[in-house]
Amino acid sequence: MVNKSTTNGVSDPNLENKRTKVTLTNSGVENARGTYYNGAYTSVGYDNSFNLDRFKENFKINILSETPNELVFEMIGVDAPIANALRRIMISEVPTMAIEKVYIINNTSILQDEVLAHRLGMIPIKVDPRKFNFKLPNKEYTAEDTLIFQLKVKCEKDAITGKIINETALSKHLVWVPTQDQEDMFPNEEDRPRPMEDDIPIMKLRPGQVIDIQCYCEKNIGREHIKWSPVCTASYRLQPVITVDKSIKGDKANELLQKCPKNVFDIEESGRVVAARPLDCTMCRECIRDPEFEENVKIERVRDHFIFSIESTGALKSREIFQEAIKIFIEKCNIVEESINKLVN
Amino acid sequence: MNAPDRFELFVLPDGAKKVTMVRDTKIPNASMFTILKEDHTIGNLIRMQLIADQDIIFAGYRMPHPLEHNVNIRIQTNNNTTPLESIQKSMECLSREFTSLENSFIEQVQKKRNVADQYI
Repeated sequence: MVNKSTTNGVSDPNLENKRTKVTLTNSGVENARGTYYNGAYTSVGYDNSFNLDRFKENFKINILSETPNELVFEMIGVDAPIANALRRIMISEVPTMAIEKVYIINNTSILQDEVLAHRLGMIPIKVDPRKFNFKLPNKEYTAEDTLIFQLKVKCEKDAITGKIINETALSKHLVWVPTQDQEDMFPNEEDRPRPMEDDIPIMKLRPGQVIDIQCYCEKNIGREHIKWSPVCTASYRLQPVITVDKSIKGDKANELLQKCPKNVFDIEESGRVVAARPLDCTMCRECIRDPEFEENVKIERVRDHFIFSIESTGALKSREIFQEAIKIFIEKCNIVEESINKLVN
Repeated sequence: MNAPDRFELFVLPDGAKKVTMVRDTKIPNASMFTILKEDHTIGNLIRMQLIADQDIIFAGYRMPHPLEHNVNIRIQTNNNTTPLESIQKSMECLSREFTSLENSFIEQVQKKRNVADQYI
């Protein structure tokens, strides 16, 4: 079979639109599913099969905004399963440290032991998990796989001023207790294990109540329990493309501007309406609700253009989470590949 | 109580093979691969990579049971190749894709560090 065109897409504009874009209409989403099948467009002279060189040529990453805990970037030229695999790995397979075992020495507060232990587990711990090993089941704790925190809070009434001290046990009261040579593992002061935030309330106390607890942190992944997930959210969406017909002018243009709750549209000097901030579009479809506008405003999303946003809980930076996710995936591939190679022999 | 250990979802039991292959006895060039302790993350990805291969007639995946972390991948190829060869090729492609993905991410991140210098 001869494939005339390989990179320029399908010649038929309707089919090309179907291939590359998801369309939103008043009644719902059209062409939501992508076609990955190699022979899907052979009859119209387009080669849909995979080619690594072509992939590398079309593939692009572009960082939109970055702070240590939030990263937004575009990934262009990949298929949905790749984006989805990365998202799934970031959520459930990138390891972090979290409190797993809690030894309660004294707890005279009104919070039950098990509730307290659960609350402690949820506190994000700021420590580089790559420095630790996974704790093997039914093995002793070692300095390489366990971190110990101590929580010792006593609530009292100051005899002179009558002020209540330690009314709330906060995450800053969790004190790291280094074992063996753990102190050498963290030479810099800012790398030392501590709760991500200082002001997470653990429980309220009244004068006379005491808690004395030892917490053991272990390394694990989000699939075991969500407390080990390194991200608050890791999500992607498709790049919106909004096109407005020339025929919308004057009063109608102003009406369209008013319709959009996200203020996506602008009126150009020529009087034409353009989507100036398409990334703000939430796909609410308010602009096409009126049938009069539905013909003239087109809302589409580009099928292979993903906008990722990774919000970290703090143990790892967002960019590190993404890099780790890729590493974990390649490792997974290697394990499966190795096993397949064994099948051959 | 009788709940299975949570790590059973992703720890391969001792002596078990990660991937096994069963040949289809009725259809030529068809096989069923079972990958233990993996899920939609890798199943869907392999399927996508397989059906983009020109020598593939059929490729699909399923998770037979939602509580057991195993995926089945069924492949049927034409006479140019075998299911085993095609899955090998796909896995190699995937590793390369992700390596190039990683490289361009690192490149962009480095660039960002130079331009904006928001932190580090």
